[in-house]
Amino acid sequence: MTAKKKASKKKAAAKGPAGSTPAPARAQRGADGVYPETQILSRNFGVEDSWTLAVAREQGAYTMLEKALATMTPAQVVEEVKTSRLRGRGGAGFPTGVKWGFIPQDSKKTKYLVLNADESEPGTFKDRYLMELDPHLVLEGCLLCAYATGLDVIYIYIRGEYPLSITRMEGAIEEARQAGYLGKNILGKQGFTVEAHVHPGAGAYICGEETGMLESLEGKRGHPRIKPPFPAVEGAFGCPTVINNVETLAHVPCIIEFGGAWFAGLGIQPDPANPRALGSSGTKLMGVSGDVKNPGVWEFEFGITLRELIYDYAGGPLDGRKVKAVIPGGLSMPVLTAGELDVPMGYDALQKVGSGLGTATAIVMDDACDMVEACENIAHFFADESCGQCTPCREGCHWMEKIFARIKAGEGTPKDLDLLEHLFVNIEGRTICALADAAVWPLRSILRKFRHEFLAQMPGQSDPALPAGSAAVGAR
Amino acid sequence: MSAFEASAPAAPPVPASFPPKELRQACDEIVARYPTRMAACLPVLHLAQKHFGGWISPEVEAGVAAYLEVSDSHIRGLLTFYAMFNTRPSGRHEVWVCRTLTCWLRGAAGLRRTALAKAGVDRCGVESPDGRFLVKDMECLGLCEVAPAVFIDGAPHTEVTTESLEQLMDACE
Ligand SMILES: Cc1cc2nc3c(=O)[nH]c(=O)nc-3n(C[C@H](O)[C@H](O)[C@H](O)COP(=O)(O)O)c2cc1C
Ligand code: SF4
Ligand code: FES
Repeated sequence: MTAKKKASKKKAAAKGPAGSTPAPARAQRGADGVYPETQILSRNFGVEDSWTLAVAREQGAYTMLEKALATMTPAQVVEEVKTSRLRGRGGAGFPTGVKWGFIPQDSKKTKYLVLNADESEPGTFKDRYLMELDPHLVLEGCLLCAYATGLDVIYIYIRGEYPLSITRMEGAIEEARQAGYLGKNILGKQGFTVEAHVHPGAGAYICGEETGMLESLEGKRGHPRIKPPFPAVEGAFGCPTVINNVETLAHVPCIIEFGGAWFAGLGIQPDPANPRALGSSGTKLMGVSGDVKNPGVWEFEFGITLRELIYDYAGGPLDGRKVKAVIPGGLSMPVLTAGELDVPMGYDALQKVGSGLGTATAIVMDDACDMVEACENIAHFFADESCGQCTPCREGCHWMEKIFARIKAGEGTPKDLDLLEHLFVNIEGRTICALADAAVWPLRSILRKFRHEFLAQMPGQSDPALPAGSAAVGAR
Repeated sequence: MSAFEASAPAAPPVPASFPPKELRQACDEIVARYPTRMAACLPVLHLAQKHFGGWISPEVEAGVAAYLEVSDSHIRGLLTFYAMFNTRPSGRHEVWVCRTLTCWLRGAAGLRRTALAKAGVDRCGVESPDGRFLVKDMECLGLCEVAPAVFIDGAPHTEVTTESLEQLMDACE
């Protein structure tokens, strides 16, 4: 059992038949000023045996599939998701309904859904909760996507290091098949025939990148493809393919239940003055790990600030320590300092402060963290996980790691910082996929915001303004 | 990903007969899920590695390649790309220590030292001299909220300390 909150205190009330429960209202800070948790996606997390079909059905599993099949056309489902303004939860935030609209409806080819359950982004563990604790919700979301876009086969690509997720999703598929939610003419709907399979990964971060994932699904090394062609037209096995994150599709049943307009009313609205600020509608599983008292994952409406998330839910820093730096969403986003935490968790707000929502799972580093070593650790990750196709990424990530190691060993000079800046420019935006950018963003932001720590470790460069012992503290 | 092999083999491997009868049904079922045989590579290699003692020898590699109608080199390409596969004997117990940022913040470097000392080796990725352990440096295992994380023989252990890791490894045969 790996989901930490398995024995959570809350006991979800049985949901009853579709339409019998009122739509959850907007979150409001209470009299105590605390931003409340929401339980929409996570409503079954505390329920005993929530992953079995029998229990999931008591909680209303598959009633939204029934509703859609009985009362909605596929185009109406796509419209509802467009109205909801649901954006991808895998990191890039692409509007889900728009993505579904790209699937050619006149194609005679088999169409695929590849569910991105690779979840290899460091600091990220939210999809694991969904797959371990509510696999039928995940599957219902997949089936609604399949109905909406006319798909034939679902592959659920789960990282190999998630044995319990694999077991639970395989179990859910088997139960669903026996109950008639998968297979031929699902729930008696003529022509709605869908199969689902789990495909296990084998330990490679890059297989979370959508086209790396397709290669891996096809039995190859996970080398991302040059786009176009886009997967919607030419994806798995050369056929039209939808790729969505686990959490993205797990939102779809509640959008069908309460309506796209309800979902769009939750969270942060788009900015009419800025066409690129698409808003952050709905709720999100958000997590915190690292140097905090109470790491974990919770569901919130978009809008809680990073500071509230860290202090009110993750318990704040360990005793006697101070927060120094936070990466707000996985490892692949620019870092924020302790003074920059009053930013709402949302796609546009975090972008505005020079970072990004990413996977909305923050990694907290406290004042015992040596930023040079942290950079070496981060650069090692990307060097290790680069697929090796692009020279700037393959060579550049290793170079960056070596430069940080050199500085750590006390052999760095200020020229090394210029060299790093030169590398950043020659890596970012010059590769097939975004892994290389993902390496540059945290490293460059740490270097710029904590430059004094790098200088302090260089012979003859120590910064007199620096409080004693504030660098090179934590021999981890 | 793995380093270059030091020496070239003396002769081509004799392909193992694959799948063995215990795996035949499972492998055939896996192949049936996909439009191409190649797509079955990863799940079939997982089964093969488990069945053949935790690693894929050149003989098994050739056997899987023949079964899935791909080249030996295609399989080798996969084995060296994906961190979960081993191309050398992997000891009776495989210990994965997460090294990525959150676990590192929570003490993973100490766990790595402990694991290597217990195994009696000076680096990750080599079998211990007594054949008991293979310690592997792994990237984020997705258990960051209960870091630091270690897997032993595929089973997750969380909030691991140097003491609890010693106990866990002592309990391994
Ligand atoms: C290096 C890299 C790793 C990624 N890893 C993941 C991942 O583990 N899980 C995920 O859902 N998306 C990951 N993504 C994002 C996917 O490429 C893709 O945008 C996403 O799966 C689309 O689904 P969504 O629109 O529902 O978010 C990754 C992207 C990159 C560049
Ligand atoms: S950027 Fe890196 S990971 Fe992405 S395709 Fe190029 S080499 Fe591979
Ligand atoms: S960093 Fe170790 S499990 Fe995520």
